[in-house]
Amino acid sequence: MVDAATRSSPPRNRESGELLVLGVESTAHTFGASVVSSRPPYVLSDVRSQYKPSKGGILPREAAAFLAENAPGVVSRALEEAGVGPGELDAIAVSLGPGMGPSLRVGATVARALASRYGLPIVPVNHAVAHIEIARFLTGLRDPLVLYVAGGNTTVMSHVAGRYRVFGETLDIALGNLLDTFAREAGIAPPYIVGGEHAVDRCAAGGKYVKGMPYVVKGQDVSFSGLLTTSLKLLRKGFRLSDVCYTLREIAFSSVVEVAERGLAHTGKDSIILTGGVAANRILNEKVRLMALEQGARFEPIEARFCGDNGVMIAITGLLAYAHGVSLDTPRKALIRQRWRPDEVDAPWYPLTLRDL
Amino acid sequence: MVSFDAERLIEWVRSLELVKRGAESEIRVGSFMGLEAVFKLRVPKPYMDPELDLELRSFRTRREAKAMAAAISGGVRAPRVYAVFPSAGLIVMERIKGPLLKERLQVHGDHGHLLHEAGGMLARLHRAGLVHGDPTTSNYIVAETGMLYLIDYGLSSFSTSIEDRAVDIHLFRRALESTHATIAQEAFTNFMEGYKRVMGEEAGKVEERAEEIRLRGRYVEKRRTIWGRTL
Repeated sequence: MVDAATRSSPPRNRESGELLVLGVESTAHTFGASVVSSRPPYVLSDVRSQYKPSKGGILPREAAAFLAENAPGVVSRALEEAGVGPGELDAIAVSLGPGMGPSLRVGATVARALASRYGLPIVPVNHAVAHIEIARFLTGLRDPLVLYVAGGNTTVMSHVAGRYRVFGETLDIALGNLLDTFAREAGIAPPYIVGGEHAVDRCAAGGKYVKGMPYVVKGQDVSFSGLLTTSLKLLRKGFRLSDVCYTLREIAFSSVVEVAERGLAHTGKDSIILTGGVAANRILNEKVRLMALEQGARFEPIEARFCGDNGVMIAITGLLAYAHGVSLDTPRKALIRQRWRPDEVDAPWYPLTLRDL
Repeated sequence: MVSFDAERLIEWVRSLELVKRGAESEIRVGSFMGLEAVFKLRVPKPYMDPELDLELRSFRTRREAKAMAAAISGGVRAPRVYAVFPSAGLIVMERIKGPLLKERLQVHGDHGHLLHEAGGMLARLHRAGLVHGDPTTSNYIVAETGMLYLIDYGLSSFSTSIEDRAVDIHLFRRALESTHATIAQEAFTNFMEGYKRVMGEEAGKVEERAEEIRLRGRYVEKRRTIWGRTL
């Protein structure tokens, strides 16, 4: 751990009433740590280390081993870059779910150890809620409809009566999972993303629409497993890879945007945010922009580097929660929850963002 | 159909009086061969591939028109379909004039018979092999003749599964609770009486499943559990 005497940045003069929170993210393939302040410039550090399988997909045990190996360095660097000693923190925020058990355990262990050693309270953070909070913080949209698309999640949410409620979601696999699995099975990945572009997007260039692939929107929910199976079947039948990639992507993106469109009409919200790993996708951003324009809703894209998993979003959410009295009374209670749904989490800070504290 | 025709048709329909714009379609009113008609137009989505968009709109238009026709044959009072133009995403149908059930329920009085009839009509739809997909109090019209109509088959599909039927019941209940909170309990009891009367024995299973859906957690906070522990 970083000693106050050895840190590289000058010590910060703390303003009165300033809160400092360390955020720890460790739900899947990324170990991230960040120190966030309740005062500008808010984000004092953002350090991450991402596990990238050389072949195949994420193996939970391998990912967890990678995270455990990198965790101490990442946390130390985050404190160092922020110029904050662990003893100066007000709280430690950690994403306790939803996510992969082995990965979650790494983050929870690190948070419990730090909290015990320095006598700090732990603030439990829901990973999905954190993706929303960083998007609200960056865009300044206080009360938006949320389209959260990632490797393990595809959900349309909005805040009603104290919580983020699920309006629609995937009935089977997530959008990112669909793209990655198809790319892997089709032999065009890993690497999944090069230069900010997904392998499926790269292959879709010049592709043409293939009729008859399944487009499944059931009321407010989407389903992708049939689309995945059909796409792979068509490939085996000799359909052009670029055509299948193009159609798969068009159907998948259109269906989530359509559910979001229904969500806007139903909830009456006048703005929309796109967040989560797949939110970095330029084509999806363009579709959401066009839909929002048609519905008369505001849309602000967020920077690609804050779409994927990071410690900043955990720290931001943790700070908001901590400032509103949310924390565990003992590190022992910092238990992971693989299936922790965002609509189980009270969000007493809403509609405030970090900038309003 | 030639796409040129569809475009001209759409252009003409869009000159009619707009009464409602939903997420999926525009509802306009006008005259069709001398009859007062509702024009339901599924508008192209700018964010979709044009071929996908056309495929979806024409599929959904056709499915909706078929559902309406099947509903009427099954004894459900639904608007009559005058004409269908799948490639234009257009259904022309009978115009039913009158307040929505939602508006009627907001006026004080005894609405028992209306809810009873609403339940019976949903049961007739189910017996016809269909589910509605969006049965709310905004999708029933109390016609000027006093008769109740079930409208908007945009999300309906051909299904006889208990689950899909139960979702309909659940959706209606949720609509009552969110829009007519003070009378929801009694209204739902009346609705279910009407439903059971038409549905007969099968109604029991559907009702049971609807209660199960309600408690699945997705919709109800207080019964949410993780690994058997109530939160």
